Amino acid sequence: MAGYKPAAIQTYPVLGEKITQDTLYWNNYKTPVQIKEFGAVSKVDFSPQPPYNYAVTASSRIHIYGRYSQEPIKTFSRFKDTAYCATFRQDGRLLVAGSEDGGVQLFDISGRAPLRQFEGHTKAVHTVDFTADKYHVVSGADDYTVKLWDIPNSKEILTFKEHSDYVRCGCASKLNPDLFVTGSYDHTVKMFDSRTNESVISVEHGQPVESVLLFPSGGLLVSAGGRYVKIWDMLKGGQLLVSLKNHHKTVTCLYLSSSGQRLLSGSLDRKVKVYSTTSYKVVHSFDYAASILSLALAHEDETIVVGMTNGILSVKHRKSEAKKDSLPRRRRPAYRTFIKGKNYMKQRDDILINRPSKKHLELYDRDLKNFRVSKALDRVLEPSCTIKTPEITVSIIKELNRRGVLANALAGRDEKEISRVLNFLIRNLSQPRFAPVLINAAEIIIDIYLPVIGQSPVVDKKFLLLQGLVEKEIDYQRELLETLGMMDMLFATMTRKESTSVLQHTSDGFLENKKMES
Amino acid sequence: MAAGGGGVADPLSPAGVPCAFSPLNQAYFALASADGLLRVWETANNRLHQEYVPSAHLSGTCTCLAWAPARLQAKESPQRKKRKSEAIGTSNQIDLLALGTAVGSILLYSTVKGELHSKLISGGHDNKVNCIQWHQDNGCLYSCSDDKHIVEWNTQTCKVKCKWKGDNSSVSSLCISPDGKMLLSAGRTIKLWVLETKEIYRHFTGHATPVSSLIFTTIRPPNESQPFDGITGLYFLSGAVHDRLLNVWQVRSENKEKNAVMSFTVTDEPVYIDLTLSENKEEPVKLAVVCRDGQVHLFEHILNGYCKKPLTSNCTIQIATPGKGKKSTPKPIPILAAGFCSDKMSLLLVYGNWFQPIIERVVRTPVMNSEAKVLVPGVPGHHAAIKPAPPQTEEVESKRKLGENEISIEERLGALDIDTKKEKDDLPQTNSFPVLLTQGLESNDFEMLNKVLQTRNLNLIKRTVLRMPLHAVIPLLQELTKRLQGHPNSAVLMVQWLKCVLTVHASYLSTLPDLVPQLGTLYQLMESRVKTFQKLSHLHGKLILLITQVTASEKTKGMACPAQKAKLVYEEESSEEESDDEIAEKDSDDNWDEDEEEKESEKDEDLNEENEEEEEDAEEKDEENGEEDRDVASEKELNGDSDLDPENESEEE
Repeated sequence: MAGYKPAAIQTYPVLGEKITQDTLYWNNYKTPVQIKEFGAVSKVDFSPQPPYNYAVTASSRIHIYGRYSQEPIKTFSRFKDTAYCATFRQDGRLLVAGSEDGGVQLFDISGRAPLRQFEGHTKAVHTVDFTADKYHVVSGADDYTVKLWDIPNSKEILTFKEHSDYVRCGCASKLNPDLFVTGSYDHTVKMFDSRTNESVISVEHGQPVESVLLFPSGGLLVSAGGRYVKIWDMLKGGQLLVSLKNHHKTVTCLYLSSSGQRLLSGSLDRKVKVYSTTSYKVVHSFDYAASILSLALAHEDETIVVGMTNGILSVKHRKSEAKKDSLPRRRRPAYRTFIKGKNYMKQRDDILINRPSKKHLELYDRDLKNFRVSKALDRVLEPSCTIKTPEITVSIIKELNRRGVLANALAGRDEKEISRVLNFLIRNLSQPRFAPVLINAAEIIIDIYLPVIGQSPVVDKKFLLLQGLVEKEIDYQRELLETLGMMDMLFATMTRKESTSVLQHTSDGFLENKKMES
Repeated sequence: MAAGGGGVADPLSPAGVPCAFSPLNQAYFALASADGLLRVWETANNRLHQEYVPSAHLSGTCTCLAWAPARLQAKESPQRKKRKSEAIGTSNQIDLLALGTAVGSILLYSTVKGELHSKLISGGHDNKVNCIQWHQDNGCLYSCSDDKHIVEWNTQTCKVKCKWKGDNSSVSSLCISPDGKMLLSAGRTIKLWVLETKEIYRHFTGHATPVSSLIFTTIRPPNESQPFDGITGLYFLSGAVHDRLLNVWQVRSENKEKNAVMSFTVTDEPVYIDLTLSENKEEPVKLAVVCRDGQVHLFEHILNGYCKKPLTSNCTIQIATPGKGKKSTPKPIPILAAGFCSDKMSLLLVYGNWFQPIIERVVRTPVMNSEAKVLVPGVPGHHAAIKPAPPQTEEVESKRKLGENEISIEERLGALDIDTKKEKDDLPQTNSFPVLLTQGLESNDFEMLNKVLQTRNLNLIKRTVLRMPLHAVIPLLQELTKRLQGHPNSAVLMVQWLKCVLTVHASYLSTLPDLVPQLGTLYQLMESRVKTFQKLSHLHGKLILLITQVTASEKTKGMACPAQKAKLVYEEESSEEESDDEIAEKDSDDNWDEDEEEKESEKDEDLNEENEEEEEDAEEKDEENGEEDRDVASEKELNGDSDLDPENESEEE
């Protein structure tokens, strides 16, 4: 006797957004914790050293939060005016911050009063950073200048006056202690070398630059300003590699994920976009409640911190994955007996006799195998099946139709059962992937139950619903047919053009079909 | 939309955008919008006079603003004296505008030069500035902030003259007394300070929430018998956040004031207050209060002592779009600000949205004596300014009845209809669909696209497609491809979009070299969907037949109810039967039988005629059911047999 062949379940491509590795990764965060700050959060910076505390600059204060604390561990509030850009040193022990009154202050994490005060800027200092050798600080200010300071004797070493508007962002190279980059509202990003007294590379961003970022290798530079994020190749002397325009308002902050594979940008349009640094396509997007001014990721992307204009700091922690690597469960003795000899290798003189492996059949398959067609249909019309996997239901209906027993299976149902079938039809008839099978089924149902129509108001109502749906679908298809006509016209002009030209290639099959039909 | 909304606003901050009319003749209207821009409008012709973007407009948005008092060659009224500030010039133009920001700095903007004049920072506030007031005489500026302090500035040197702690919580409002020697400040309680010594002169308590507005209403005490020391006997007004009452207080010689003298009720939290000062005892104070719900309430009251009951407004102004015909309800347009002109008669109204407000001058203040009025552009007594946006009509609501000598509302409405026939009746829209659409497509914002694409208005679709930039056409088509696969309900709308795009941008599309690969998937998708058209139409035919049958049978059911009466006829025959019996006594049995048969056949015919169909149906159904039952039973038997077999076999195996 030939083995029973289970009913083929037709799979269809899933509609809608595809679930990628990235969406899984970036969705794997807990609900955000919200912390209210005193003013717009202009900067968030993570300490590079464990325990990875972060400094939040808002209004005239700098708060330092622990990774899981919602109360600040420490507060620096000795600013006369708004503080800007509190940044940790690479060893996490020093913190530097600019201020609206033009001062730059250096703090010890454990202390309270500033260790050093660098006076020299005449206007607000919006950007400060430590150079790679840890002993210098770079600052950019609204007086159009960029200054390099020496920490040990708190002296100004160099001043660059090349920008012609506010300097609002900057970044020091992680590898070379002499290189740093600043972006300005004069639309340029300049790379300075402290050995030369002047900028070595200058690139034109096209909009006031709000944020700059150097890749860890130092070879690529990212600048954000206006609605654009631009990637520059510094090794080629500042060649524009990519220009991204995925936000609809000004991009205010940039951050690189810890692996360096993903670039994040935050914008006033209340979105954070995640780009792949290989394809520069948006792979994920976060929504926030207010315009975003600052953004930072913790070590290993464990935490995403976003600061907004309304003074709310949103902190998202990654869901812990500790449960995954639990010990393999010890199986019962019966199981061990069951798998005994499974991995026995065939010896030379052994003759291996395969026992026909027992196929596991689904319940509906068992029914089908035993020709209980009505029951098989009942099984796939269970709500659990029709809602989750309508394709199985449709496949079974198709199989029954192939066997020619669909009428039998559908016949002899009471009011409740028939309304269940009709419900399924109403829900799925308009889906193009199911339509051919279900239209057939609907016709059979009508044929069977035509004589008894009018007995049950419930069923009558379902039929009315079905009719409404079919009417809508027909209207829709009529519209589609008209549109197809329009597109044919368009395509026809295309082909005429092509035929007039010497090159005569009709690449697309359906075009040919169209011509055949016409 | 995005800039203003979304942010979680502090619930205890005053509502509304900071805005102010320039003093003296109300020539300009300054408005600091939520996107951080300062715009100065000319009130006479509703033109944008200047626009200024502060450098820190993203982080430190403007929270309050105040015009410097006008400098005049000659003194005109005691409270508006010449302000000395020779550094700028001696023209009598109003030029300085003070802006307080969310980060604590104060900017002085010169409207003459159109640029930043100076910046007041050092030693000032380190938190949000809540209110700024200029001193009338000496060019000083007073500001208060969330950092609990009040600061007195010298605007020439841009230095702090004095800074003192004004309250235990944030200080939200300030006002300088008419003689310039006292200062009112308010957090939760209102304090009256002597400016020279910075000492508290009086306390006023009475608001539960932070006070959002303070203003003096009189410049002279009402009873002139007592000597006037500059402050005693004056009235002032206060409004608070989330409070629908405006309180009026009187400064008295007793030290502590417990309760307000009187209060005005309004419909919502006040966002903008303007008044005409009463200079003598008989002249009433006119008060215009703009509420958060966009209405203006006008009050007219002679301030004389206590009044327990809250006063209601004499007149309420609300602006609405003219409805399209009689069916549609007019939509309200919020009023942003209202100010009395210097003649104390006419009223300037600013309404619409803050992005493009419409400024209009109502010549006769409605509060004067009329109780209800409909203001229509073009009707005498109403002077409409040149308006860039589609003109609106105003309705003045009143809770009281119409005055007799007024023109009836109907007549005015009639005039209105003629006037507004050609005009559009949409609200002035700033978030236009083409912009939203392109932004949505570029940032792939699902909500934004939904908002645009799910519109049912065909005209709107057409206009949007017409105005959208060409580079957005292909992304739009791709988005539509995605959305075409859904339920016919929503997909029909997408087809409308698709058709519009194809008709409007046909020439553009035909110039695309890679049109076929671009639209290939769309074409195939549509083609696969219409494949079922024939079968579907067939099914639809069947269904229609079925439905008509159902409705028909329902109708016959309805008929069946009166048909029941036919059985009564049958009962009447029973009386005839009696006579039959009598006959039977006489007649032969055969005859009786025949009669009976005839009658019976008659009866049957009657019945049959009446519910023929139904019976037949029922019979058929019964038969069908019976047959089906039998069928099912036999099937089950068969199934049962077949059920057993394979299992047996497997067991045997």
